[in-house]
Amino acid sequence: MTSITIDKAARTFGSVRAVDGISLDVRDGEFFTLLGPSGCGKTTLLRMVAGFCPLDEGRILFGDARIDTLPAHKRNTGMVFQNYAVFPNMKVGDNVAYGLRARNVSKADTERRVEAALKLVQLGGYGTRWPYQLSGGQLQRVAIARAIVIEPHVLLLDEPLSNLDAKLRVEMRSEIRRIQKMLGITVLYVTHDQEEALSMSDRIAVMRSGHVEQCAEPKVIYEQPATAFVANFVGTTNLLKGTVVTRTGNDVEVKVGTTGIKADAHGAAAAVGQGVVLSLRPEALRLVASGEAPPPGWSTLVGTLGETEYLGALTRFQVKVADGTVLQLMSLVPPQGDAQVTIACDPSRVVVLPEDA
Amino acid sequence: MRTFVSRNAFPLGIAVVATAFLGLFFLYPVLKVFVSSVITPDGAHFTLQNYKDVLGSGFFLQGLTNSLSIAAMASFFSMLVGVPFAFCVARLPIAGKPVLLALTALPLVLPSFVSAYALVLMFGRAGIVTGFLRDIGIPFDSIYGVKGIVIAYTLTLYPYVVLPTVAAFKSLDVSVEEAAQNLGASRGRMLRTVTLPLVLPSILAGGLLVFIEGLENFGVPFVLAEDRPILAIEAYKMFVGETATNPSSAGVLGMLLIICTVAALLVQRGMLAQRRYATGARGATPLIDVTPGVRRLASIFCWFVIAAALVPFAAVVLISFLKFSGPVLQYQFSFSNFVQLFERSYRPLGNTLLLSTLAACVATLIGVPIGYVLVRYRSRLSAILDIVATSPFAVAGTVLGIGLVMAFSSGFLILTGTALILIIAYSVRKLPFAVRSASAIVHQIDPSLEEASISLGVPPLQTFVRIMVPLMVGGIVGAFVLTFVTIASELSSTVVLYSGQWSTMTVLMFQALEGNSPGVGTSAATILILCTVLPVALVYRLLRRYEMSML
Ligand SMILES: Nc1ncnc2c1ncn2[C@@H]1O[C@H](COP(=O)(O)OP(=O)(O)OP(=O)(O)O)[C@@H](O)[C@H]1O
Ligand SMILES: [Mg+2]
Repeated sequence: MTSITIDKAARTFGSVRAVDGISLDVRDGEFFTLLGPSGCGKTTLLRMVAGFCPLDEGRILFGDARIDTLPAHKRNTGMVFQNYAVFPNMKVGDNVAYGLRARNVSKADTERRVEAALKLVQLGGYGTRWPYQLSGGQLQRVAIARAIVIEPHVLLLDEPLSNLDAKLRVEMRSEIRRIQKMLGITVLYVTHDQEEALSMSDRIAVMRSGHVEQCAEPKVIYEQPATAFVANFVGTTNLLKGTVVTRTGNDVEVKVGTTGIKADAHGAAAAVGQGVVLSLRPEALRLVASGEAPPPGWSTLVGTLGETEYLGALTRFQVKVADGTVLQLMSLVPPQGDAQVTIACDPSRVVVLPEDA
Repeated sequence: MRTFVSRNAFPLGIAVVATAFLGLFFLYPVLKVFVSSVITPDGAHFTLQNYKDVLGSGFFLQGLTNSLSIAAMASFFSMLVGVPFAFCVARLPIAGKPVLLALTALPLVLPSFVSAYALVLMFGRAGIVTGFLRDIGIPFDSIYGVKGIVIAYTLTLYPYVVLPTVAAFKSLDVSVEEAAQNLGASRGRMLRTVTLPLVLPSILAGGLLVFIEGLENFGVPFVLAEDRPILAIEAYKMFVGETATNPSSAGVLGMLLIICTVAALLVQRGMLAQRRYATGARGATPLIDVTPGVRRLASIFCWFVIAAALVPFAAVVLISFLKFSGPVLQYQFSFSNFVQLFERSYRPLGNTLLLSTLAACVATLIGVPIGYVLVRYRSRLSAILDIVATSPFAVAGTVLGIGLVMAFSSGFLILTGTALILIIAYSVRKLPFAVRSASAIVHQIDPSLEEASISLGVPPLQTFVRIMVPLMVGGIVGAFVLTFVTIASELSSTVVLYSGQWSTMTVLMFQALEGNSPGVGTSAATILILCTVLPVALVYRLLRRYEMSML
């Protein structure tokens, strides 16, 4: 159990800069997630930590010890692979004991620790089974048991749940989180599934083409994204381009087309006259019934109702505003009647973002 | 540069070993053949006269046409037989399919010239069937010549088409076929417009293998061609020379053979590269429902093909237990042929077993690491290694043998007359097979297994031993045995390279054919067949069991 420091790590494949000078600090005992679209370099970064991908530049430290110069088998990391990678020629128990035997742990100790690890992943008594006798979810548990039984400095997981069906995935999420909390182990977790990242992590680094866009707690990532990319990648949002017209303290007004929208800048650099992007999450927007006044201090937009999509508990619908922009909204009650609607937006939930370069 | 070397130490090491081995024992001899084809007979200076002489001679030109047309016809008929066979096996409910599948590949490992020899014994001028037909008054022209060679090739080489085609039929994504039918295509139309185009690359790849094998083979035309010129045989005759040796002409003929096979290989590669259809097959392709009549017909067809391919071998075995007085067959059970065969010495049998084992070891030891590197380290280096390691496939055994003699009969390394030169020739020839099978095996093993082991604290080399070797061992043993049996029946480079004390079973057969002593010939063939069928049967069990535990 240790902290991980990644210091300006970089790796190029041919002309692709897969990891482009990334620096991250993962705290001791933290559940840290790398989140990002396909090809952004998550796996490459994880494999750098594991030792399967040499660094072109930069350093990696566990605690104070530099480890990027160590060969993979001396790093004491537990790695869980997307496709399980359970050795098909060994029984479950031998799979889990594999790393202990490499460390010359005594026979009695090995047996005890293997059984304990299997119990921890709820596979007590499965040691004598062959891998082909197990289901996908069980195989993934074996892979986790095998990785944690060696008491690794850090546990590395690369999309461990993506081969499981939806229901099992949700189950395994809390399972992995439970095991992590119980052992207090540092976890570096890779996923492209935002729900997984938000629900499991202590902190998330959102990645984009080889660099980190934002690194923060899930709540901050969602509610105060640092860039338009993060706002768009995590959750649903409406991005509107505008220009700052007034600013007093953190209260700004941004002109989007012909309408002014009030927002809380949350300390973002947004000087008067500067071009910005506003992120309006569906939950920041509310339909105003005709004849009713919008909540005080909220800005309003007028538009026409577009397509509605019934999702059971919620209804998703679109509103086309004056300049032709289509906004995504959600509400508990399906919108009724009028084609002409008024939308109010909550200034405290509108996020002001720098214009994307 | 330093980081490149340290990151790639393993593949670089393998590449160096492979290049050194093949450079010395393959490229250098082939270069010798080439040089001999472009210098004057006294070795003094460069000339193209040899090519003019050979290509200007009606006899050799006929040889070239014969070789090419025979290879083309063999390829055509193999596809004609192989494709329906593969379709039936892959997609129809055939009676006795497991046995059928087990027997399908057998002709590939049995010595093809034995099959040709059986054809002569049955349909030759003094053949059993010929005589019988003549007795009951049916005139029968003998089997010799182009016709016989094409028949022998088709019967022994059609599995080259069947195996990849069955694999292609099986890996076909059914939903593509269902989509075709859903869009209104009849079953016949679907087969023609969707199924067949998808398996076509595999069919053609197999067909080209037959073509190349048909060009390079020495034994079958030696048995069946009589005095018709065939490239591989004329090169041998020119070099070994019953009358006067002529290394220049042998060199030219060798180069012509190489050019033809390389051209065929390039066509095959190009075709495979152009049409690689990614089929995301989900599970096994289901069998097609057919009426019992069709099913019966298909079963009869498949079993007929298998029988036609295997009956010649069975016939040879049977005949070897009958008595011959001189060349004349007496219908009387006897071990006299075997007595006669082993009367002089057991040495040839010992040689065959020893040389095959050693050469198969060399080919496996060099080939497996290469195959591993090709799959695990994809880089420009491995692409070059791939080409180098598979290039011996493009050179006929006869030509390689000639090259080895030219290269190592004098100078810094003298090997002619030793067992070593045979072992070298065999291992060079079988290296592509060892490489291909190893890379096929490695391909099926998920790379993250190795990474999992390393991340659990086991160093790379130990990981290779503990994880990869156990997973590969079944496949490697299988490949080793196949290498062994194909070497045991190798004839084309053996006849060029053997010396008195190192003659093998194939040489005995060869001499029996030349000296027209069918007793020794058939008993030697029977021993050879045993040497192939027994090991294959043994590993077949082993491989099956291994597969079961891997599922
Ligand atoms: N061994 C390699 N050789 C060449 N390019 C590579 C290699 N590994 C990764 N890349 C490239 O580096 C980039 C980052 O790849 P990486 O596998 O890290 O992405 P990822 O974020 O894990 O994506 P995914 O979510 O699809 O797994 C991609 O453009 C990929 O094509
Ligand atoms: Mg990845």
